[in-house]
Amino acid sequence: MPDLLPFVISGLGVGAVYALSGVGLVVLYRSSGVLNFAFGALGALGAYVAWSMLESGWPQALAWAASVAVAMVLSLAYGRLIAPHLAQRNPTIRGIGTLGFALVVLGFTEWFWGEQPRRLVLPTDAGALELADVRLTYTRVIGLALAVAMMAGIGLLLARTRVGLKMRALANDRDLSALLGIRVLQVDTVAWVLSGAFAGVCGLLLANIVRLQATLLTFMVIPAFAAAIIGRLESLPATVVGGILIGVLEAVAIVVPGLASFRSATPFLVALLMIAFHQSNTRVA
Amino acid sequence: MTPISIASPMAIPPSIDALQIALDRVRRERLRSLLVMLGTLLVLGTMLPWLANAYWTKTFSSALALSVAAAGVGLLYGQLGLVSLCQFALLGVGGWVALRISHGSGLPFELCVLAAGLVSALVGMLAGLPALRLKGLYLALVTLMLAGGFQVVITVVGFPDGGPGWLGRVEGGERLLMARPAVATSDSAYLRYVVLWLAAVLALIELHRRTRAGRSWALIRRGEAAALGAGVNVLLYQTWAFALAGFCAGVGGALLAGGVGQLDGRAFGASESVMLFALSVVGGVYHWLGAIIAGLLLRAVPALLTDFNVNGFLAMVFFGAALLHALITAQEGVAGQVLSLLHRVRARWTAGSAP
Amino acid sequence: MNIYRIAALSAVTLAASFASSGAFAQSKCGLGNGKKADGEPIAVGAVVGKTGPDDFSSSAQAAAAYFKCVNENGGINGRPVEYLVADDQWNPETAAQVASKLVKDRKVVALAGNTSFVECGANAKMYSDEGVMVVAGTGVPRECFNAKNYVPVNSGPRISATIAAMYAAQAYKSKKMVCIIPNIPSLGNWACEGPKAWGKANGVEVETIAIDPGSADATSVMLQAASKKPDTIIMNVPKGILVPMLAAAEQQNLGKKIHFVSAAPAYSADVPKAIGPYWNKNFAVNLEFNPLESKGPDNLNWQAVMNSHGAKTDPRDTFSQAGYLAARLLTETLLKMDAKKIDRASVTEALRKVGDFRSDILCNPFYVGAGSRHNANNAGPMVVVDGNGFTTVSKGCLMADDPELVDVRADEKKLGLK
Repeated sequence: MPDLLPFVISGLGVGAVYALSGVGLVVLYRSSGVLNFAFGALGALGAYVAWSMLESGWPQALAWAASVAVAMVLSLAYGRLIAPHLAQRNPTIRGIGTLGFALVVLGFTEWFWGEQPRRLVLPTDAGALELADVRLTYTRVIGLALAVAMMAGIGLLLARTRVGLKMRALANDRDLSALLGIRVLQVDTVAWVLSGAFAGVCGLLLANIVRLQATLLTFMVIPAFAAAIIGRLESLPATVVGGILIGVLEAVAIVVPGLASFRSATPFLVALLMIAFHQSNTRVA
Repeated sequence: MTPISIASPMAIPPSIDALQIALDRVRRERLRSLLVMLGTLLVLGTMLPWLANAYWTKTFSSALALSVAAAGVGLLYGQLGLVSLCQFALLGVGGWVALRISHGSGLPFELCVLAAGLVSALVGMLAGLPALRLKGLYLALVTLMLAGGFQVVITVVGFPDGGPGWLGRVEGGERLLMARPAVATSDSAYLRYVVLWLAAVLALIELHRRTRAGRSWALIRRGEAAALGAGVNVLLYQTWAFALAGFCAGVGGALLAGGVGQLDGRAFGASESVMLFALSVVGGVYHWLGAIIAGLLLRAVPALLTDFNVNGFLAMVFFGAALLHALITAQEGVAGQVLSLLHRVRARWTAGSAP
Repeated sequence: MNIYRIAALSAVTLAASFASSGAFAQSKCGLGNGKKADGEPIAVGAVVGKTGPDDFSSSAQAAAAYFKCVNENGGINGRPVEYLVADDQWNPETAAQVASKLVKDRKVVALAGNTSFVECGANAKMYSDEGVMVVAGTGVPRECFNAKNYVPVNSGPRISATIAAMYAAQAYKSKKMVCIIPNIPSLGNWACEGPKAWGKANGVEVETIAIDPGSADATSVMLQAASKKPDTIIMNVPKGILVPMLAAAEQQNLGKKIHFVSAAPAYSADVPKAIGPYWNKNFAVNLEFNPLESKGPDNLNWQAVMNSHGAKTDPRDTFSQAGYLAARLLTETLLKMDAKKIDRASVTEALRKVGDFRSDILCNPFYVGAGSRHNANNAGPMVVVDGNGFTTVSKGCLMADDPELVDVRADEKKLGLK
């Protein structure tokens, strides 16, 4: 039996990736009712902006700030200018709208920066934790910590604050909430800006942990949906646990001789199994 | 006289004769619309191969093969309101089956297509099982997961290209192309052949819509309670819809394989299934014209941009913007806009000619 | 002399001095007679993968520059070359469509400078059926090296990885190696078999790890490779995947325990900077052609042609070298033919007769021949990452000792080459 522990540890790094993206998706879904296909694309664009700034010699903090700012601005632009036109349609169509937005952002990013191997190096790459012959760079540790922190923070925001309450109301029934006097535009702004900020931060971390390549980062939303499904699109802790679980299983699968080539399907398989075992869950989204 | 509420608009119940006349009129209109559909496809089938050069003939063959699959997507979403984001994966399944049977046994092309449709129908039914419990967004996500899984599997396994064994892959030799149907070996003839299959599949769907199946689907769409109350077997008709959509996807996959000659696992990502759904919605899910437009959007428009040497990524930007625009402004899709335009033109014409 | 004549004369003298001083070095192409060709155009095509995971279009750009130069220097005995390039967008369906357009609609007599991951598999049979030859810039998957009508100028990932393995055994005395390759069919089950087969015949154990190029987890792959306790790891992956994998290896500090070598995709100007100083003098790469900065006359001519007739933004990379060679080979073949009798069949026949095409960009003379497959380029030098560039470490070119080349070597014997 080959030693699994190094792969479990290494899987935590990838799991952080899935957990972060999953939380970002569920947060926006719970606060605006939209499943955001453009999450990865916005993060990718932010990461490329940060890379360009770092290449030109700008200081680290400014590059990160710019990256998050770009994602926030674009997210807000979509949320205020385009999403309201689709607000009356069913959730899947609203999701497809964000897909259109993702294509626009992705196409622009690939066209503008072109194809050239790039690496986003963060200062936290220098140090690492040594566990069981595996080095977990501080970036990955931060990724894990951030996933948990986001989960706790947003959970608190949605459950305990007024803004959170309004966001949940809006996601539940937009027209009724407007009738009740909730300032729809204001709350929408908060939700989309928050989502954009998460997309920016996730983009930076993913670009470092995975690869700085726009198409790949954009379509990583699909495995991230798997983590969101495990959380049943509502529970943030379950999403985080689900994401980390997927990451660990995917990493460990590489030592199983027959499954190694198919290990990228782990997120999808786990999500489908969760659905199968939660048959009692007749969700009407 | 039976007691009538004064507020009811249909204050006088229709007589039996009027009912008969109305039913006759509906039947004639349906026949006419079916004939219009077949006529349009006949025109397409004759004009396109004659007008198009080799590049466009191949492009239209692919586009109309995808139209067959888009018809299935439209069926599920338009008739039942169910979102399936794995139809392109089912198209891949159909293509795989068609290629394997064609290379392995040399059976006639038509049998390969039917076999592909059947297998995809079965797999589609399996994919539709979650639909009995899940609805809306959740169903969409589950089908997306299936599409993602297929993407990984097909990239590793690849499509058959003339080799032996289960997977049918050739090692170290020239990869074989799928044998064309006996009646349609040239590219132009094959385009006509694809139009024939498209007509057959669209007619099959129209037939379903006009019979008991269509009525049952409409009731299921209203709500399970309403359907059960009316005595509809929800399990049967919902599964049948998924099977039919899977059949469409499988046939489309087989036709695509025949047109291009071989398929590549890298072209069957989960994003393709999402784009198929998105462009089916843009084309229009409530009318057969929408399926044709969806196919053209999926293949003909990108080919046009490639022909004009537009950078592929700028074309992607254009597509995303067009998708957003279509979603926002056209609920019934481009087909709906075309039809309402035709309707207005006809109304103006008849209004003009009438005194 | 009045002032105007002096001014005019000075202007003319200045212009002449610029032209001859070699503000751009003189580019030699075709007939080299400075006359613009204005006869009936000869249509030549190319299919490149431009929009997608990577941009391979620089080979077609180099070929276009060469053909432009040819057209300004007498053309093909007076006839200009009309060069039509199509982007297959890394999609086999699109590749089939655009190849149809070039071959059946535009009736090209040959194709030159193709570089695509997907078009060999999609189009090889069509090229064979239509009797048109492709002098490709760079071929990647197995189909490119196993087709009757497809002649890649490069050596391919299998040969390249084999030479890298041979170098590792020679320089590092490695006895156990791991070869990493993407699991794309006809690449994943072929390209690492070269080192494996060579190793079997020479007492070196080589294991293969096939990876999913779309996977987000590079660390596990490196850990798995390291767990097999190899002396050398052979990277046989595109440069876009190479960089994150080496980053993962760096994070696990594997470069200090294991030697890393790579096949040709790593040889690119942006790789040393992207992988960082950890790999300085620690990462050896096999080249399919001689280095980009070598001083041989044909290599300098390539640079000159790019400067005089290419765009400033065209990359000067190995694909560009390949495209230049393909264009030059086709041009010299066409020049030997009767200008009035240039059609597809005669061009195909003439190309099959090419037996001794020499260039200092290539290690050995190149040939086409009438064989059922073509892999004439099967030698290359080794370089190592040095600062922001590369330095040669092998004594000249290493010839691949791949058992699969037995039929190619037989063809070479038949053609009377060493």
